[in-house]
Amino acid sequence: MKKLVTLLLAALMVVTFASFGAAEDITLDVIIAQYGPNTQNWFLGDGMDGSNFVKKFEEANPGIKLNLEVVSWNDIYTVVSTRISNNNAPDILNIDTFADYANEGLLLPVSDYCPDELFADFFPSFIEQSVIDGVCWAVPDLASARALYYNADILEEAGVDVPTTWAELEDACQAIIDAFGGEVYPWGIDMTTDEGQAAFAYYAWGNNGGFTDAEGNWTVNCDANVAAVEYAIGLYNKGFTNPNPATQTRYDLQDMFGAGKLAMVIAPNSLPTYIADKGYTGVNYAVADIPHNEGATSSSVGVMDRIMAFKDDAAPDQAARNEAIGKFLSFFYDPENYVGWVSMEDFLPAVNSAVEALVAANPSFEAWLNVLGGAQFYPTAKAEWIDVKQGVTNVEQSALTGGDVKTLLDELQAKITK
Amino acid sequence: MNTILVRHKWEPYVWLLPSILIMTIFVVFPIGIVFKLAFSEISKAGIVGGFVGFANFKEAISDPVFGTVMLNTVIWVISVVGLSTLLGFIVAMVLNQEFRGRKIARSIVVFPWATSLVIQASIWNYIIKFEYGNLNNILLNLGIIKQAINWRATYQIEFMWECGVGIFVTIPFVTFCVLSGLQSIDAAYYEAATVDGANFWQKLFHVTIPLVRPSLTVSTVLNIIYVFNSFPIIYTITKGAPAHKTDTLITYLYMLAFYDQRKGPATALSVIGFVILCIVAGLYMMVSMKKEGEDA
Amino acid sequence: MTSGKRNFEAASRNRLALLALAIAAVLTVVVLSLPVMTFTTAVYTKRSANTFVGDEKYVEARAEAEATAQQYAALGGEMEITEDVTERVNSKGETTSLIVFSVRQTVKRTGWDFLRAGFVPSRVLLVLVLAVAAAIALALLGLRGGMDTPHRELTGAPRTLRMAGCYLGLVALLAVPVFAMTATQTFSRQVQLLVSGQTILNPDLLLARLDAFLYNGAAGEAAAQLLGGLSEEISKQFFLLLPALAALLGALVVLAKGGITQALSRGALYAFVIVLCVFILYPFYVMFITGFRSNAETTDMYFLHMLPTKWIWSNLRDILGRGVLRYLLNSIMLATGATAIAMLCGIPAAYAMARMSFKGKNAFLGFVIMSQMFSPVVLLVGISQLMNTLHLNDTIVGLMLINAAFNQAFAIWLLRGTFISISPEMEQAAQIDGCSTVSALVRILLPMAAPGIVTTLIFVFINAWNEYTISTVLISTPQNKPITVGITQFSSFNMIEWQYLFAAALLATIPVVILFMCIEKHLAAGLTSGGVKG
Repeated sequence: MKKLVTLLLAALMVVTFASFGAAEDITLDVIIAQYGPNTQNWFLGDGMDGSNFVKKFEEANPGIKLNLEVVSWNDIYTVVSTRISNNNAPDILNIDTFADYANEGLLLPVSDYCPDELFADFFPSFIEQSVIDGVCWAVPDLASARALYYNADILEEAGVDVPTTWAELEDACQAIIDAFGGEVYPWGIDMTTDEGQAAFAYYAWGNNGGFTDAEGNWTVNCDANVAAVEYAIGLYNKGFTNPNPATQTRYDLQDMFGAGKLAMVIAPNSLPTYIADKGYTGVNYAVADIPHNEGATSSSVGVMDRIMAFKDDAAPDQAARNEAIGKFLSFFYDPENYVGWVSMEDFLPAVNSAVEALVAANPSFEAWLNVLGGAQFYPTAKAEWIDVKQGVTNVEQSALTGGDVKTLLDELQAKITK
Repeated sequence: MNTILVRHKWEPYVWLLPSILIMTIFVVFPIGIVFKLAFSEISKAGIVGGFVGFANFKEAISDPVFGTVMLNTVIWVISVVGLSTLLGFIVAMVLNQEFRGRKIARSIVVFPWATSLVIQASIWNYIIKFEYGNLNNILLNLGIIKQAINWRATYQIEFMWECGVGIFVTIPFVTFCVLSGLQSIDAAYYEAATVDGANFWQKLFHVTIPLVRPSLTVSTVLNIIYVFNSFPIIYTITKGAPAHKTDTLITYLYMLAFYDQRKGPATALSVIGFVILCIVAGLYMMVSMKKEGEDA
Repeated sequence: MTSGKRNFEAASRNRLALLALAIAAVLTVVVLSLPVMTFTTAVYTKRSANTFVGDEKYVEARAEAEATAQQYAALGGEMEITEDVTERVNSKGETTSLIVFSVRQTVKRTGWDFLRAGFVPSRVLLVLVLAVAAAIALALLGLRGGMDTPHRELTGAPRTLRMAGCYLGLVALLAVPVFAMTATQTFSRQVQLLVSGQTILNPDLLLARLDAFLYNGAAGEAAAQLLGGLSEEISKQFFLLLPALAALLGALVVLAKGGITQALSRGALYAFVIVLCVFILYPFYVMFITGFRSNAETTDMYFLHMLPTKWIWSNLRDILGRGVLRYLLNSIMLATGATAIAMLCGIPAAYAMARMSFKGKNAFLGFVIMSQMFSPVVLLVGISQLMNTLHLNDTIVGLMLINAAFNQAFAIWLLRGTFISISPEMEQAAQIDGCSTVSALVRILLPMAAPGIVTTLIFVFINAWNEYTISTVLISTPQNKPITVGITQFSSFNMIEWQYLFAAALLATIPVVILFMCIEKHLAAGLTSGGVKG
């Protein structure tokens, strides 16, 4: 029995080693985050004009093999951090955060592998978001912008205009409650574990607060932020929002909005596609700026994900590896591929060369690109961002169950600036 | 004489060897790594640094959330193990009766087992959704309720649902352990008890339970371990929201490790959990085995 | 003499039962003659924002409401106009006002009206009435000539008749809540479907009947619109039927069986089993129907349909197109391999534990139990590191070994119990004849322990089949993913595709369920044969 197991093990090792030895090509391990129902198909199935990205890339670049994996957002942090702990980081990673990897010296600077021509193609304001101490560590793969969507019919029947300030928002909520009773929730809030930081940004930025001050110091407990979170929690406490903000995800909110059960919600630019895909036909909606506090300015919220390359000291030929990574990027951002990728899941592009084709295909893109131009982004380049991201979510969720916002934010500030 | 002839002293160990080998390599070795990690510094990205003593443990325990999470864990384990044992016992008693369709009923009872926890948890998560969940759908369409009900109005209720799902998926295991115990009871015991004029409850407490106890002991120990370590139900339904108030130790340390990127405290917590389990399961086994000894 | 006394007892008991029957019958008739259903239709509702009592807009809206009331007053029933005024001062200090005008029409109908109407609930009510009548008639027929015969001595026709009456009484009792439910069902949900233009069977017929029933046929074309805000209420008097029918059933049981207790306990047993099975099958039902809904219908916020309006069988084709078949195959390979390895390692160990005495036996048991105390979630980092070292990362074989290792405790515990329960005499005899330990195990013990081995196989198989966390981290190539990991692609950043998720879950469940059905007998038997006498 024992022999059998040993034999089995030995046989396995031989097989695995053999496959290692045979490889003269450069193999790149790539992890891609799963954005939508088509992501996996586009990269690996037959969703790219009957072929897929990997196949096309390998045909166009002989000598480079892709070991590409599409991982759901639910698992991607687990997968990546486990692999890093085991010195088995992917070569190329598509994820939202990068600061921790960069600060710990795991990443290659973008200048090492990204062709100049391509680098110049990225929106400069996007690239800035991935720079720490003058070095750029990642390139944006796509972005989305968030704005206010409202159900025009509901607002009209309640007799209110689209709210632009917080006070007007409360009035509008009250009017909708008066008119529809419990049938319609006036305002959607998503403070779930995955999206709490977005909720924080909507209100804090709308009150001239924010995660950091102009010098980039953390200011999560500033008065403006306290007031902002208290305002958001107040909306919930007054019964203006969906009933379970801590567990009702963006999907739930978007479904409610599509079904006409939610009057207003802050959502990404992909909402129209979502509504169309799900077949909600009865909803008459429009887009507006996110409401802000009196005396503050409205700020749209931009969210951006990135592609980054990890160091691999064991690679025999660093130059060739860097070149391969560069080829991957060039191929990916080639408008012929990239435009399809961005429009497929309804995101906004990160490179200039894609804009023309995208706007031609869908005129509403231009408006969104403008929104994105004025958008603020999370301070993802700062090392404490992960703590802040989870921290503000915890603050919001605690406040929903009756915690004191000021105390909670003070605690969080103390924890991150320790 | 229950044993067979063994030709060499070392022979039994050869028989155990494959099992010991596979467990050592694939279970004990990773456990060792976890112990080592618990005393090491681990960076946010996951790089393992040097020895830091009990710093990780201190950090984990000093977090105010730790108390909530431990309390939740206690409630979770006691309610799921306790109630599923009780209900599983009742179900087994019923399925042990003679009635038409008993075979079908028995196969149906094990169904929850046939789906993975992730799937079961997803289904229940869908069922209890307020806005479009199937529970509201079915109750409305049957005319039992007139308005959709928010089945997850507060986090306490959500936690109760999670416990409920935990019980739901644990019952089959208990039922089958008890059922097999019941089937092996000699009918003569009951006849004797009936002749002595024992009523239902007397038979239950003086015949059934003592005879089923050995099967219950083992199933309970394994249950405590499985339930304590159960992860997908809570992770799928609430992810511990709001603010870890529905987390148990396992989901909390998962969130710590992979969401907050604080792997040091997370591994420290897993060691703490291991120690607690050892103590609890050990105590339980000692107590119940002692009782068995007294009964016998 | 004693016989005479007994007959007297039986006669008086039967007379009492007869009295109960009569009361139940009278009560049923009385209740059905009362106005048991109240229907309210919202003839007209208008929300008028920024309107103040007395201003131009108000007068206009009010007039409109009154005109509508006038128009429909001819249909009969009580008309009621309400206006609901909300005034508030908003954040800018302006006063805003919202007035909701509504015109309601209320109609009351008795049980007999209902019986004539021809809806689904009317049919249920008809069943109820007929069942009551038939039960009483049967009981009376059954009493003929047997009034003073104790139930045990009943034979032939009287016995059959009384039993039949009994069952009909049960039907009547159950029909009351069913009627109450179907009444609300048809009159709000079904009408809601009708009005919102959803597909139901024979909408025109339903509409015509509703028109006839509620407006005496006078509403005509307008009926659909009128019914938009239909709500209904069953009056409390109706539920007097419940105790009445309970008494009826009790009386019938007394007539047929003499005792109620025994009948109840048998009934309770079946009721419990049925409820239990329904409860356990419920999530599977949800999985099944949701798996074949359309994407939009999975998140239907108006709860319009219990079953898919259209069964989208192509969901199955879609998920197969997205690699589910491959994942299923991987899962089968993984679970089979893990089970085989676990058995290969577990059987010898269990054999040694059951048949040999040696030092460190308890230590080994402790070791086995301890090895189960870490959740795989916790061990992710360690396992992944190990797999890297062994170059088993991203392979199904690696997963097999892990799953086999994590199931050792369970396998050894079950197998050991099975082996212990089998008497070692035959093996001992074989050994004396010069048979080796190995062949004693393979030739003699294993065939006898087959049921226990099957049980263990199943347990390990299912655990491996359902494993999720480790596979998530270890497997990166899509071609190697087991089904549990594979289905995560249906909940992506942009959308949860419930229908695909559940259709795939269904596919993943069916093989195991079939396996269960086939080996149910062994499962119990295997455990019984001593598996749990740890």
